[in-house]
Amino acid sequence: MSVNSSWKSNLPLYIGAIILSIIFFYPLYVLILITFVPAPLNNLSPYPPQIPPGFTFYNIIQAYSALDLTGPVTRSFYVAMMVGGLSLALGIPAAYGLNKIGVRTANKFIIFFFLINMMPGIVVAIPISVEFLKLGLSNMYGVALAQELVVLPLSIFIILGGFRALPRDLENQARVDGANLPTTMYRILIPMNRSAILVAFLLSWMTSWDEFTYAVIISPVKSTFPVQLYNYVTRAVSFEASAFALTFTIPVIIVAVVLQKYLKSQSFTGGLSS
Amino acid sequence: MTYKLQLQELEKKFGSKTVLNKLSLDVEEGEFMVVLGPSGMGKSTLLRTVVGIENLDGGKIIVEGEDVTRLPPHKRNIAMVFQNYALYPNMNVYKNIAFPLKMIGESKDVIDKKVNEIASILKIADALHQNVTTLSGGQKQRVALARALVRNPKLFLLDEPLSNLDARVRYDARQELRKLQQELGHTFIYVTHDQTEAQSLADRVAVLHNGTVEQIGPYDDLYEKPETTWVGSFIGEYPMNIIDGSVIGREGSQIGFRPSWVNEGDDGIQLTVQLCQAAESGFFIMSTMDGKSITIRVQKRHKIGSTMKFSLRRYNVYTDNRLVEEFGK
Repeated sequence: MSVNSSWKSNLPLYIGAIILSIIFFYPLYVLILITFVPAPLNNLSPYPPQIPPGFTFYNIIQAYSALDLTGPVTRSFYVAMMVGGLSLALGIPAAYGLNKIGVRTANKFIIFFFLINMMPGIVVAIPISVEFLKLGLSNMYGVALAQELVVLPLSIFIILGGFRALPRDLENQARVDGANLPTTMYRILIPMNRSAILVAFLLSWMTSWDEFTYAVIISPVKSTFPVQLYNYVTRAVSFEASAFALTFTIPVIIVAVVLQKYLKSQSFTGGLSS
Repeated sequence: MTYKLQLQELEKKFGSKTVLNKLSLDVEEGEFMVVLGPSGMGKSTLLRTVVGIENLDGGKIIVEGEDVTRLPPHKRNIAMVFQNYALYPNMNVYKNIAFPLKMIGESKDVIDKKVNEIASILKIADALHQNVTTLSGGQKQRVALARALVRNPKLFLLDEPLSNLDARVRYDARQELRKLQQELGHTFIYVTHDQTEAQSLADRVAVLHNGTVEQIGPYDDLYEKPETTWVGSFIGEYPMNIIDGSVIGREGSQIGFRPSWVNEGDDGIQLTVQLCQAAESGFFIMSTMDGKSITIRVQKRHKIGSTMKFSLRRYNVYTDNRLVEEFGK
């Protein structure tokens, strides 16, 4: 097939991709508009003008000097790390076990795990926050634990997919070669399954990074970045909030770039295609 | 005498399917034992239970007099080469071979010495720092073998290790494997469905059928005097002809004979030639008798459709599918 004809046959695909990109990037563009256009120019109309009428760093400088940024960012970072770490600490053993009990039973478990995500977060969050209050978990640890509820099923599913794609005999060989289970895990299974594990970690991290419902209900004060951002917006400091929001998206973009390198469909097929 | 490995009445079921049915087998020190059987007869399962990655439903596994039935695989000190070699793709050749030594906590110097030693024996010294995914089939097989040999285990189990190689490499690998086993004096248990391998490698062959050892002995014995009609029809390039005994006046039993155990003549058993195949050693005539296909070897070519007669120079008599007598030996 010549380059030309392949380009032509892919044309609808490219057009689709461009349209989708515009839809996805437009909110980011609005964010940039609000952040870098001087406030008086923005306030002339209910919606920001689509072509920037001016340019300023004032909003960003104002945001960083007047409002507390480091506190929420640090807390968000710790919570995201905890959520990601916990995803692996629980997800890897769970996926390993599920991989042992046969595909049919394992799939039933997976569906059961996902059930919790089918309920609206707020329905789950309220009883949890009541219990956490009693347990003294109305803090970042509590937020991390609650967010784990959302990310754990998907993490297990992704890691399980990775384990299923591995030849069974690799683990057997390691056992025969004299490795006990922890050594087999550490030396063979985890390194072999590292892309699925990394994907699970990053997705968990990203989900936690912009999770709002659990964070605001369990720890409304001194909370994570999204909650703080919400507070600023409701207090009508929207220009500074936009500046914040823009800062907030940077780690997400970095994570997404790292992710797309590892996001092979293989991680999601449950290993059935191989 | 003491045996290297004793298997006593092993039982294994997968659901309602019985894979190992009271299987017993004794393997001597330094012996090359080939376990031969058609696919799906539990050959691999047998090895997997011996090495410990599959649990038994009954029976005992005794290695050097010690009952290892309940030991986990990493405590049995039995090496196994899997059919697909199961090389660790996240390690290079050197690390693959060094892995079992690392697991028993050998020092770096010892590991280095042993890995280099075994690599030079198996002629993979040049490939030691290659990635295992770049190796050819033959090299992969050598690496897998090196990894098994490097730590001096009590037993070596090999699960069709040559079946993934192409014909020429397989032939060479077979010779080398046999030489290696004799030089090192290790005890090998080798599973295959390939009779040529069994014939050229084995000190003794154990024929597996219905989850148990149907017959055990040197390959020639299995060929000449199969103890059951099943072994007779399984062993050999052509299955042993099994026909009703009444043909030669032995009512109530069956007789079995190899294609070459016949004399062509003017009287005797008559058959219609259905196929005549030329071979180095003569012509193979294929026909059917009472609905059973039979093959005999003669010196003259026969036309398809013609009739011919032959007499039996040698035959075995079977009653209830078990060998009772040998004639004309």
